[in-house]
Amino acid sequence: MTQTRRGCPVSHTEYGEDSELYGHYALIDAEREASRFHFNDTRPRGFWMVQRYEDVLEGFQKHDVWTTSARSALNPESGIALLPQDLNGQDHAKLRRVLNPFFSPAAVKRTESLAHERCVELIEEVRPKGRCDFVAEFAIRYPTDLFLALLGLPVSDGDFFLPWSETLFQGFFGGDPAETAEAKRKILEYFDTAVNERRAAPRDPKTDMVSRLIEARIDGEPLTQDDILTICMTLMLAGLDTTRSALGYMFTHLATHEDDRRGIIDRPERVPAAVEEFLRLYPLVFQAGREVHEDTDFHGVPLAKGDVVWLGIASANRDPRKYPDPDRFVLGREGVNQNLAFGAGPHRCLGMHLARLELAVVLREWHARIPDYRVEPGVRLTERGGQLTMPTLPLEWEV
Amino acid sequence: MRLSIDADRCMGHGRCYSMAEGLLSDDEEGFVAERGRVIEVPAELLADAREAAAACPEGAIALLDSASAADA
Repeated sequence: MTQTRRGCPVSHTEYGEDSELYGHYALIDAEREASRFHFNDTRPRGFWMVQRYEDVLEGFQKHDVWTTSARSALNPESGIALLPQDLNGQDHAKLRRVLNPFFSPAAVKRTESLAHERCVELIEEVRPKGRCDFVAEFAIRYPTDLFLALLGLPVSDGDFFLPWSETLFQGFFGGDPAETAEAKRKILEYFDTAVNERRAAPRDPKTDMVSRLIEARIDGEPLTQDDILTICMTLMLAGLDTTRSALGYMFTHLATHEDDRRGIIDRPERVPAAVEEFLRLYPLVFQAGREVHEDTDFHGVPLAKGDVVWLGIASANRDPRKYPDPDRFVLGREGVNQNLAFGAGPHRCLGMHLARLELAVVLREWHARIPDYRVEPGVRLTERGGQLTMPTLPLEWEV
Repeated sequence: MRLSIDADRCMGHGRCYSMAEGLLSDDEEGFVAERGRVIEVPAELLADAREAAAACPEGAIALLDSASAADA
């Protein structure tokens, strides 16, 4: 007998576990095609799965009644405060106005030379070896170094900073609470020192983010020290894991699809279009959560106040109703710019322009230096559940 | 042909001006500077305008036929 809950088929699919590479996309695709909506009962607070492109977009745009009180359907009570994510409505808009100028295309362009420089240094470090674990030796170091530099902090701090951020990140998906709390304490302490240094010796608030956070006023009031630290931590958590993960999937694809790789080597001007199609094809943040704040009917699903909704980002990006032949990498695909990898609505990813730039720089610089490479034979590629990333990607090339 | 950008729907994805640099521009927060306005599209930029409209994830951009869009 098919189980139902308030008219929805019930899903028992567990999305938090590690799997073979691309295993999660297979699950997501199957559920989207089986039914427009599901109720998933694998968590103490079950969640309504919204899966098709048009529905997911509509969900992101219902920000007045579907709020970020639950940021992830898989772990609606993460216990880690994030700013500006945790705010909604006008409070959210006001803080975004403080931060947006640092992440606009014009601002991001100012960081291009730095991205280029760090990228080339890291590539040149691994190139003579003829092999590397692309994830550990390149893909996580690159965004971490850029993040620290953007905040005006020493790049060398990445060595001790990185393990903290990894532990804290695990806390979003049910990692050990004591370890998570300890990592959080260390990171906040680190930022506290940095912010106090800026208070003593401010820099230009137009180009120095921490100085801007110190001088910013919302409704005439300065941001509290706690809020500034939370913002710094949020930017770190949002930007490092995702960039590393995106690079892993992109380079796995290019290592195993000769024609697509050749297309980028021969015509680097296609890189921005390639980045966009990669974002569509391999979304890492495969879902966002929302909490319903008003009893409502969503296309026949009766939602009650307090219900948790899963906005299926990966499901939308791979919806054949929106993108025909969705498993294929198609350069210049129609509507690719409308992909929801960065979300939509007022909470869309603040760092999306920076992310696009970072990824484009790597595609250009790597292929200019190491055009041909392959996944080391015999390696079993896997992915982490909850929010996708590849724990390891061993690549090799001729030197 | 004219192009309108709904200020309430625009969320600053920036895909429109990335696609149509000659027609649209960005402000310092990364939003399209022309939001909330209706602009005339020169004939030679019509293809850019169509691409910009098709690139908006929020559906904030509409192309209006100048003849049928009666002004208030």
